[in-house]
Amino acid sequence: MLSVEGLVAGYGRIPVVDGISLQVDAGEMITLVGANGAGKSTLLKAIAGALPVRSGRVVLEGRDLAKAPVHRRVSKGIVLVPEGRMLFSAMTVDENLALGAYLRNRRAERESVERDRERVFELFPVLGDRRAQAAGTLSGGEQQMLAIGRAIMSDPKVLLLDEPSLGLAPKVITEIFSVLDRLCETGIAMVLVEQDARLALKHASRGYVIRSGAVALEGPASDLLGNDDVRLIYLGAWHGRE
Amino acid sequence: MIASAAIRRQGLRLAALACVVALVLSVLLPGDRYLVRIFTLVGVNLIMVTGLSLLFGYAGQISMGHAAFFGLGAYTSGVLTKGGMPWVLALGAGVAVAAVVGLLLAMPSLRLKGHYLAMATLGFGEIVLFVFGEFESVTGGSNGLRQIPAAQVGSYAFDTPVAKYLLIWSVAFLVLIMASNLVRKRPGRALRAIHGSERGAQACGIDTRRVKVQVFTLSAALAGLAGVLYAHYVGFISPSTFSVSLSLVLVTMVALGGMGSLPGAVIGTVLLTLLPYADAILPGLSRETVAFLQDWETDIHGMVLILVMLFMPHGLAGLVRSIGTRLFAKRVRPALSRAGDTR
Repeated sequence: MLSVEGLVAGYGRIPVVDGISLQVDAGEMITLVGANGAGKSTLLKAIAGALPVRSGRVVLEGRDLAKAPVHRRVSKGIVLVPEGRMLFSAMTVDENLALGAYLRNRRAERESVERDRERVFELFPVLGDRRAQAAGTLSGGEQQMLAIGRAIMSDPKVLLLDEPSLGLAPKVITEIFSVLDRLCETGIAMVLVEQDARLALKHASRGYVIRSGAVALEGPASDLLGNDDVRLIYLGAWHGRE
Repeated sequence: MIASAAIRRQGLRLAALACVVALVLSVLLPGDRYLVRIFTLVGVNLIMVTGLSLLFGYAGQISMGHAAFFGLGAYTSGVLTKGGMPWVLALGAGVAVAAVVGLLLAMPSLRLKGHYLAMATLGFGEIVLFVFGEFESVTGGSNGLRQIPAAQVGSYAFDTPVAKYLLIWSVAFLVLIMASNLVRKRPGRALRAIHGSERGAQACGIDTRRVKVQVFTLSAALAGLAGVLYAHYVGFISPSTFSVSLSLVLVTMVALGGMGSLPGAVIGTVLLTLLPYADAILPGLSRETVAFLQDWETDIHGMVLILVMLFMPHGLAGLVRSIGTRLFAKRVRPALSRAGDTR
């Protein structure tokens, strides 16, 4: 579905992401594991187009989108759920969802947009109860659900998730991840950046360990979970409870 | 329930529109030329403020140079009609010049945000003002441009105060209706999204740069349109009219009415335009009070802006909304407590 080849990106002169390659298939969830500052979020932003790609390719279904602006990538199906959610807090849940479908404004798409809206409310029933409420008045968990719901409204082929569990209660995290699993089953490819590496590796099928802007290790998630180096460095004592 | 709410909103809008039409026409009833003149100015300002409201109030992009676009429309059309061009064509030219200059300014400067955008547009306003003053052979320099003919369509000239008044308010209505259609639909959502979170808007696939340039150009064109109408209404223009202080007043009108509210923009425009002419509305006002309001007009505008920013960030529209919810909440609360008692 999506393959990234030799991607270089960053802020200023020093590349934060220095030649990373990865791929993800339809219906597959992969995760990027690494310390703070390793370049995981930068990589997601570069794939989404929020940061310019210095060199390398971002190939979606055979088409290189490395030079395409964000909105064109969204229309092709690469959709970012940004860190910190970036919702429109003064606008209602309904309006936020409508904005997710901003590019699907043709008359012929009206029905499928409506179906997707129903699907979001089915996946996250609490959003249905709060349709007319301003997004800023939602709880943190509900806001994260809305951010994912808004991305679903863009009809994504690849969903890029930047820290979806940040600051949320364990129960809410479980709920959100079970929805992500369900979305994967419908054929959406997912690239997950998550500070809770153990959680991420449990849901993803494969993982990439990112160190100093490059892939240090990659493999099936279960292998990485069992890898001593990974356990020591990224699943350290502070994540010690099994 | 949602459908009935939509019908109610539609009804409210129609009622509001009817009220405004009635009010606008009622100004003509007393046959007071002073009153008509002042309210013509309200109409001119309203066209500009509507455009600025889309740009500043909805999209959150400030322009401190809107008086320049107003001036560009006025001078373009004034010079062209004095050279013999029919008014209708000069009107198009005035709007086009303002729009094109707006587009050219927007493309580089909308990369800027906040204070930097304010400074860039402020500087632009000063430059245009300088050109009006120095380009004497065309603009008449600081003496201004005199004897600009009245607006004329075919053989009909809008040369009476009432005709001018009706012309300007008809245009103002069309502009308001267009703007209110815009903000309720997809483009309006995009504008508010950019205001709310530019990165979020991008994540939704909104080409934020393009939308910002579009709304800036539209609002420059509307200021140009107001300029054309103003030039042929007053018949005389000079650079001092188009100074930065006008740009600031326009921003204050949007802020006073409430960011992201068109009815608010209308109210802000009416209140601040009428301020120096308060005696026309309140006949009992003493001459000293009116003189005070006129002498201190700029200071009052400044105070209003500061007070609004401090205590009423959502302007008058926000104030009305919060009073509304408070009243509504009072009606709900007893019902809730009763429900609690039965438990």
